[in-house]
Amino acid sequence: MANKVMSLHDAVEKYVQDNDVLCFGGFTTNRKPYAAVYEILRQGKTGFVGWSGPAGGDWDMLIGEGRIRAYINCYTANSGYTNVARRFRAAIEKGELVYEDYSQDVLMLQLHAASLGLPYLPVRMMQGSGLVKFWGISEEQRRTMEGVDNLKCVEIENPLEPGEKLLAVPVPKLDCAIIHVQQASPDGTCIIEGDEFHDIDIAIAAKRTIVTCEEIVSDEYIRRDPTKTRIFGECVNAVVRAPYGAWPSQCYNYYDDDDKALKEYNLASMYLDEEDAKAQLQKAADKAAKAAAAKPEDEKLAAASEKAAQAAKDAADGTKVPETFKDYLQKYVYGCKDQDDLLNVLGGARLMNLKNEPHLGYSTRH
Amino acid sequence: MADYTKYTKQEMQAYAIAKSIKENQIVIVGTGLPLIGASLAKRAVCPSCHPIVESGLMDCSPVEVPRSVGDNRFMAHCAVQWPNVRFVGFEANEWLHDEDRLIAFIGGAQIDPYGNVNSTCIFGKGDYVKPQTRFTGSGGANGIATFCNTVIMMQHQKRRFMDHVDYITSCGWMDGPGGRERAGLPGNRGPQMVVTDLGIMKFDEETKRMYLAYYYPFSSPEMVQENTGFEIDITRAELMEGPDPEIIRLIREEIDPGQAFIKVPKEK
Repeated sequence: MANKVMSLHDAVEKYVQDNDVLCFGGFTTNRKPYAAVYEILRQGKTGFVGWSGPAGGDWDMLIGEGRIRAYINCYTANSGYTNVARRFRAAIEKGELVYEDYSQDVLMLQLHAASLGLPYLPVRMMQGSGLVKFWGISEEQRRTMEGVDNLKCVEIENPLEPGEKLLAVPVPKLDCAIIHVQQASPDGTCIIEGDEFHDIDIAIAAKRTIVTCEEIVSDEYIRRDPTKTRIFGECVNAVVRAPYGAWPSQCYNYYDDDDKALKEYNLASMYLDEEDAKAQLQKAADKAAKAAAAKPEDEKLAAASEKAAQAAKDAADGTKVPETFKDYLQKYVYGCKDQDDLLNVLGGARLMNLKNEPHLGYSTRH
Repeated sequence: MADYTKYTKQEMQAYAIAKSIKENQIVIVGTGLPLIGASLAKRAVCPSCHPIVESGLMDCSPVEVPRSVGDNRFMAHCAVQWPNVRFVGFEANEWLHDEDRLIAFIGGAQIDPYGNVNSTCIFGKGDYVKPQTRFTGSGGANGIATFCNTVIMMQHQKRRFMDHVDYITSCGWMDGPGGRERAGLPGNRGPQMVVTDLGIMKFDEETKRMYLAYYYPFSSPEMVQENTGFEIDITRAELMEGPDPEIIRLIREEIDPGQAFIKVPKEK
């Protein structure tokens, strides 16, 4: 049988290409293929058209680093930690991100339709909403963009039930899919424990699929119970051993999310870099000063203004600059040469405390 | 001894959510307040309900409050772990079979008198492509609002209750009677209630416009009108009694002891 096992470095170098139409498995803070995202960042790959699905920090990092050419999205947040992913939000509010919104249910059906090889997809959803009315990428722009469908959607009549209004949406043509699973064997056969999300769909649909996994087991071992295997190895190009490869997101039956890291990212991603932190803190200080000046008798406003002014001053003169998005990436991505290096930075005790407690299905120790 | 006789606006809102769930209903919840409300329903107010989430996890009964709809806390304590596409198929088939078992909770940043909700962006001086404030986007809300009756969770503020929302993420009754059918949406589904920190709004059967149905012991019909950016009928409003101390004890001690979603003020 084929042996597709390779290092994360080699898998990303070979199977992720600049300008790819790219899709990741997982769901916001669950089983996100973070180790592969970090390697994409390290190797400087860029220009992606992202079909993001229920996205979290995975796509937020690629957006913050300017690696996205077009972002086809339905939801982007580390739910429970950050209401709206901060680099995503900043990029849109500054007009720096080319993006499109779909209903999550429609986008998941689009990925499913891709796995079924369908030519297009008729849906009832999105009709009458802004999702149809507003296009982030115009038809004119779309026709010039490689990897982006010519139309976002088309209002149609059901050809089999005349008079019924429907919406036709395109089926994505994925170049590359990356998923993180619990176990895989060298020939690419995968076991996914817990909810599969859209992982199987994209593994089938993409021209190239990278699987990172907690554990590599033999081809014989994985076939001992075929009720557990979920992905046919022939859909997979590379198998990579990446323990804690979904960190800081969850991996069912293995580990919980790292709330310390997700909270750290929530705060750090507020500021792109040192310069941005200084500018934002100064802006906040000016605003607080204005509010305090408008109501000179209000002690709370005066105290808040003083505090904001101090924070801005400390940042400006370098006494205390808050951690930024760039700092976070330096610490956990660029400063680590590979996944092993990252695990050493995190430390044994921290990782052990994230481990799943079998009677609960999550961890209470972190 | 902790005092459970006093409660916060959020606890009242969670209680109002729990009270809106009926026997044997299948309840689509997200995280946050609706989850607390549904947990309260499951444990005390309406134990026969079945909470499900848009990631595809069905009949959930989490021990610890989950942070996201894909959380292991849901996944490890549910009946079936379906992928999201099965959830979509299930909600669509409930409508196709003319079943009336689903009720869904969605949130938003802006709402109009017909229950059309915006959770995508506020244009401000910009537009959709470069808005003043960007939110998460649809998530599961648009699909849910297509096929299911919904209860909409909002903070009651004038700037959120407005005549026209910038962007309709989840369709309500559109522009009134027949609006959903004209758009190609199921006409026999739509928003049933808006639960806010000031009261419960319902939609008039004839006009499909929002009216005040209930206010709380700490609010009043006048307060609701003051905080609503459009003309709202308050003549039908009734008082909804607050929760029993046992309900508050359940929320604080058993459902959300870590105060993940409901903050409890320190006792003086």
